[in-house]
Amino acid sequence: MNTGLSVPSWTGVIASLLLVALAAAIAYRQRLGLTGELVVAAVRAGIQLVAVGAVLGVIFAHAGLPGGFGWVIVMILIAGQIAGRRGRGLRRARWSATAGVAAGTTITLGGLLLLGVIAIQPRVVVPLGGMIVAAAMLAAGLTLRGLREDAEHARPAIEARLCLGLSAREAFLPHQRSALRTALLPAIDSTKVVGLISLPGAMTGLILAGVDPLTAIRYQIVVMYMLLAATTLAALATARLAEHALFDHAHRLAPFSKPLA
Amino acid sequence: MSGFTLDAITVTRGPVRLLDAVSGCVEAGRCTAVVGPSGAGKTTLLRVLNRLEEPAAGRVLLDGKPIGEMDVPALRRRVGLVAQRPVLLTDRVADELRVGRRDLSEDRSLALLQRVGLPAEFAARHTAGLSGGEAQRLCLARALAVEPEVLLLDEPTSALDGLIATLIADLARDHVASGGTVVLVSHDLAVVRRVAHHVLVLDAGRLTGSGPPAEIDYLEAG
Repeated sequence: MNTGLSVPSWTGVIASLLLVALAAAIAYRQRLGLTGELVVAAVRAGIQLVAVGAVLGVIFAHAGLPGGFGWVIVMILIAGQIAGRRGRGLRRARWSATAGVAAGTTITLGGLLLLGVIAIQPRVVVPLGGMIVAAAMLAAGLTLRGLREDAEHARPAIEARLCLGLSAREAFLPHQRSALRTALLPAIDSTKVVGLISLPGAMTGLILAGVDPLTAIRYQIVVMYMLLAATTLAALATARLAEHALFDHAHRLAPFSKPLA
Repeated sequence: MSGFTLDAITVTRGPVRLLDAVSGCVEAGRCTAVVGPSGAGKTTLLRVLNRLEEPAAGRVLLDGKPIGEMDVPALRRRVGLVAQRPVLLTDRVADELRVGRRDLSEDRSLALLQRVGLPAEFAARHTAGLSGGEAQRLCLARALAVEPEVLLLDEPTSALDGLIATLIADLARDHVASGGTVVLVSHDLAVVRRVAHHVLVLDAGRLTGSGPPAEIDYLEAG
């Protein structure tokens, strides 16, 4: 049902760039010192999307399902590197983040595919995989940052628990819970208000493509549940892995090599 | 009864030697005091004994066995440490006493409060409203709840609550009387003379004296 499908032409894309020029001009007039950044961000986004569009075109046309899954793996690796930076100073932060994102993505995407909720096709796996990886990356980054902050600020409390004979895991549990709550609340809140405050991406895309809104929401519901699952699983996996890096074999809180970012 | 043997313990932090080849003995069933100026490494020594600090060189034996080979949480239940600054971990006094001992009975909780000079009605109180001295007493009771064989007591440097120093001395004496071992870091040399059987003197991370209180010049200076 693609009757109303209307995609802007390249001329339209260039015309939309005029809006950025307008924003840049206002920023310049207001001396915000952001004109350069605005222009760079707009140009960079354009180039990135053109490149990604070209790569996806090649994958969908020639690489098939293995290419689609390969692309998801590449996204996981990049997301792990970015989320890992949030745990600066923690041992093996990037590894924990990458494994956390991978766990969240594999279970969520794998579950949807195994249950037959989504089609096993590159043009489904890649965009949905991208949404899942992005949500997992955000959760892993927030979790690492929360763990790092708690471990650093609550060192006396953690050591007091260790002194009473609690294991590293038991001593850190209250702090791990608080870091996980902080990491998960944004996803839970955005799930609560979905459709009320903003029309989410997948639904908007389908409506723009001419799909009936009542059909579009079905897809959106799946997407929201999928993102909630990916966020939670990635945060839990990252926390569990990072916790091992926080303590050494003698149940001692490791010193941090770098100050909080 | 549990005693420690320290064999050339060195603890480093970056280029700094917090402890430098310290050797000595903590006799079982006795009170050993660790004295010395600020920054001498006294707190570090206590932390080495329950493995909150890992020596870069040397080894620590507990009853002849290297503590490096022991199960760490089990070691810390045997060797309880009370830090200089009180850190409370829960909202209520009764819960605080159970952090290290979940099955602590109500009677035992009340007995512990009494032992550290806090009235029984404190059990129902919120920890947020406690004074520094009360918090320190609660931390002592919390450590005693685990029933450690060895008590490592790091006395607060500030003399804000002189009663705390007296309480710590009394607890040290009681613990030894009931067959336990005590290592006491104290700045109150009169307390050390009164309570300690043996004294270790640290200065800039090195052991500069060791012996019964009567033979330690550092105590005379105080």
